[in-house]
Amino acid sequence: MSSLRFFNWWCRGFIAAGIIILISFCGCEKMGGSSDSDAKDEIKLTVLDPRGQPSGIFGRVGAAGAGMLANRNPDTQPKLSLNELIPLRMADRLPGLENKTIYLIDTGFAGGKEFLMEMQNWFKENMPSVKTVVQVKSGNAFVDSPELWPELKKKADGVVFGVGG
Amino acid sequence: MEGEFGVPTAPIVTSRFAEYVIRDGHSHGMNLRWTFPPYPVAWVPKETLVEYINGNDPITGNKLMTEVIDALTRPLTEDEKNPKVQKREKRPRLLAPDTEANLNRMFIEKGWTDGLPIVLPTEERVAEMLTGTDHDPQEKVGMMSVTTHEELNEYTVEKVAAIAVMAGARPEHLPVILAIASTQHPSIPSSTGSYGSMVVVNGPVARIIGMNSGVGALGPFNYANSVIGRAWTLMSINFGDARPGDTYMATIGNGLSFTNQCCAENEEKSPWEAFHVRKGFKPSDSTVSVFRGWNVSTLGMGGADAILQRIQSSGMMGSCTFVVDPLAAKSLKEEGWDDPYKLSEYIAGKLGNSFFKPKPEGINFVVVGGETNPIWQSTDYTYYKTVSVDKWVPKDGIKLDKKPIRMPVSKQCEDELCLLGKK
Repeated sequence: MSSLRFFNWWCRGFIAAGIIILISFCGCEKMGGSSDSDAKDEIKLTVLDPRGQPSGIFGRVGAAGAGMLANRNPDTQPKLSLNELIPLRMADRLPGLENKTIYLIDTGFAGGKEFLMEMQNWFKENMPSVKTVVQVKSGNAFVDSPELWPELKKKADGVVFGVGG
Repeated sequence: MEGEFGVPTAPIVTSRFAEYVIRDGHSHGMNLRWTFPPYPVAWVPKETLVEYINGNDPITGNKLMTEVIDALTRPLTEDEKNPKVQKREKRPRLLAPDTEANLNRMFIEKGWTDGLPIVLPTEERVAEMLTGTDHDPQEKVGMMSVTTHEELNEYTVEKVAAIAVMAGARPEHLPVILAIASTQHPSIPSSTGSYGSMVVVNGPVARIIGMNSGVGALGPFNYANSVIGRAWTLMSINFGDARPGDTYMATIGNGLSFTNQCCAENEEKSPWEAFHVRKGFKPSDSTVSVFRGWNVSTLGMGGADAILQRIQSSGMMGSCTFVVDPLAAKSLKEEGWDDPYKLSEYIAGKLGNSFFKPKPEGINFVVVGGETNPIWQSTDYTYYKTVSVDKWVPKDGIKLDKKPIRMPVSKQCEDELCLLGKK
């Protein structure tokens, strides 16, 4: 009799525990929000592309004599449009450098002149027939030097221009 | 040299900037024959430079001097004889629909944010933001690039509103954010020196939208200051096309760039004419003024000669802006500087023969602070311009929320006795 009663209580306990576990599973699903968040994750949003649109307008090098920061100021930065932008036609190349005059133009960034002087030494040692001239560009690195280009046209067969960055 | 003067040229740029110049060259229709020595060439021993010249171009792996000679002598290819300018296509207005989680991830992974959480600019949110102005959403506001040469990106009122949403702003902030956008100044131009920027708001709008000009004005204690300053950087990233190591080359970066230095001027406590009035606006006008430089130096105290000494010892590059607590401004006034421009003239005159040769216009003073210490902060910031906010304000006035969001505000004490419980 007592074992039957024990079995009866055991069964009741087993069933109660099962119900509790079942409820807690359901509860967990709700508390964890997985079903809600799954639903939320399914919702698709339409958002704007935050990026600007290509304008067809380009910045360009500062005018001769302009301040160092002139082309960093939208009000003074020289600009040109896509229509004015003429693809650069490169000059015909030299048949060789022997006996040519090459100007090594320092654009004004730190270390450029020292680098080009070592390049000059390289030419002296390895290609002694090449005459090299190291020259510092007038104005700062960010502005045009209109007097330099015709001078180089007259004096130089080729130009090394650097060192940027 | 190449096109107009017909002289073959070998351009040399350090390898750190290879991608930048190749892309920039192509966008301008220039197929130049670059040579890239290792980086840097500045502040390295002579022996290192010799090694660079005798060594290889790290980008191509070719002998550096062979490349230089090749650049000047190898016959032109057909592509080089017929260069073309690359044209970029316009982008669709909307992104492909996706879940919130995916879009948030995409905005971060594409580099369209500052790395902090954003509010996604849904059509609904942007439409609500646009109630902050009467201007046509498709009206062009300006163009911007963080570089000096690449194609500028243009942006409309709606694009600015999308940025304002991303920054966490409300419609009440939009006119100020539009005014900043109208300056076309990116807050983070690409300078290896790592720019920082400042925006100062003057006029009635500052009070209406609850900006802070007092205690902690340049710190993280004011909703309007924070979201407006953040919007400036988000527009610089997205309109200015700032991509680190690609278009944005600031070697260290600048911690001020997250929200910039954004505040209102403390006009109530300033003994001087408001900054925007000194720049030609009326006291009743609302404006933003933009500044940019590299350094915010430590605090200083004292009168004109202390300011002069700070400039002389700082190595500033031609311009400076002092952020002056009202107590310090009052002391300067008591010293005889009724007009800060006279102070600028005095300092510029004293610096006339030094390396730093500013014009008086290059030395500026804005009054900010809560009168807890009579100090000033020196910066090497250049003042660029002041523009109107009013043109962006709706005809019915600033669009305030029913209950505008405001952070705790520091007490303003009329007689410096508020700690004793008096007004």
